[in-house]
Amino acid sequence: MPDNWGFVLAAYGLAAVVLIGYWRMLVRQESDLEDRSRLAPSSGHLTPGSQTTSARAGERSHAAPISGHPRPKPDSRDPLQ
Amino acid sequence: MRVLGAVTVVALAAGLVAGLGLAPREVTQGNVQRIMYLHVPSVWVAYVAFAVVFVASIAYLAKRADAADRLAHASAEVGVVFTGVTIATGSIWGKPTWGTWWTWDARLTSVSILFVMYLGYLLLRGMIDDRERGARYAAVLGIVAAFNIPLVHFSVIWWRTLHQPPSLMTPGPAMPRVIITALLVNFVAFSLLYVYFVAKRVHLLRREAEAAA
Repeated sequence: MPDNWGFVLAAYGLAAVVLIGYWRMLVRQESDLEDRSRLAPSSGHLTPGSQTTSARAGERSHAAPISGHPRPKPDSRDPLQ
Repeated sequence: MRVLGAVTVVALAAGLVAGLGLAPREVTQGNVQRIMYLHVPSVWVAYVAFAVVFVASIAYLAKRADAADRLAHASAEVGVVFTGVTIATGSIWGKPTWGTWWTWDARLTSVSILFVMYLGYLLLRGMIDDRERGARYAAVLGIVAAFNIPLVHFSVIWWRTLHQPPSLMTPGPAMPRVIITALLVNFVAFSLLYVYFVAKRVHLLRREAEAAA
């Protein structure tokens, strides 16, 4: 009987694809869960709504807005600004 | 978990070397018989996985312990993966040895029914929104489906099939020691892979439940 190495490689290759694919799916699910649990307790993060509220109360935040640019303090501003 | 993962990778590498390198070329089938070192341990893991589903399902119905339900769920999922590998590798092995990819003989048909039953088990879990009710229904199906395992295993003895009868644990000429050793190394490697997958999946299911609560 011929050796049929092609069939052997096909069987081992297919099994490797299935098992590695399943393992990767588990790893991806785990990292998704970690991302979700990291974001869950982040109620202190700035949101457009929270900025509006603090501005309305007269306490303008100096923290970086959503755009990422820090807002300068009024006394540090150039007169031309 | 990382240690178990590392040990499993080493064991799988050893199994690959044993099956593709150390084991001798079989006289009648040639090198295509090396698929056995993949096919037989896969079906072994599938049997173990579904037996665990059976025991964990009984434990869940008796005690309503969520841990038992998670173990049954994880084991069924891993069992389906390994049954898929078994069917695919068996089909690839069948073409050069039987001249066909597939035939509806007792072993192939019963293992296909086993595969579909546990796919149904996973679908059932996903279909029912009420978690407790889904777990209860799945446990009943997990117990009923397990009765198919002896049917799959003994189908080659009870009916005339194209599939060969079990080679291990049957009286007759003994296999060469090197072939048995290569097979045992792969049994150990696949069993470790099963434990690793189930442990990881149970951990994920527990975290998902905690996140949902």
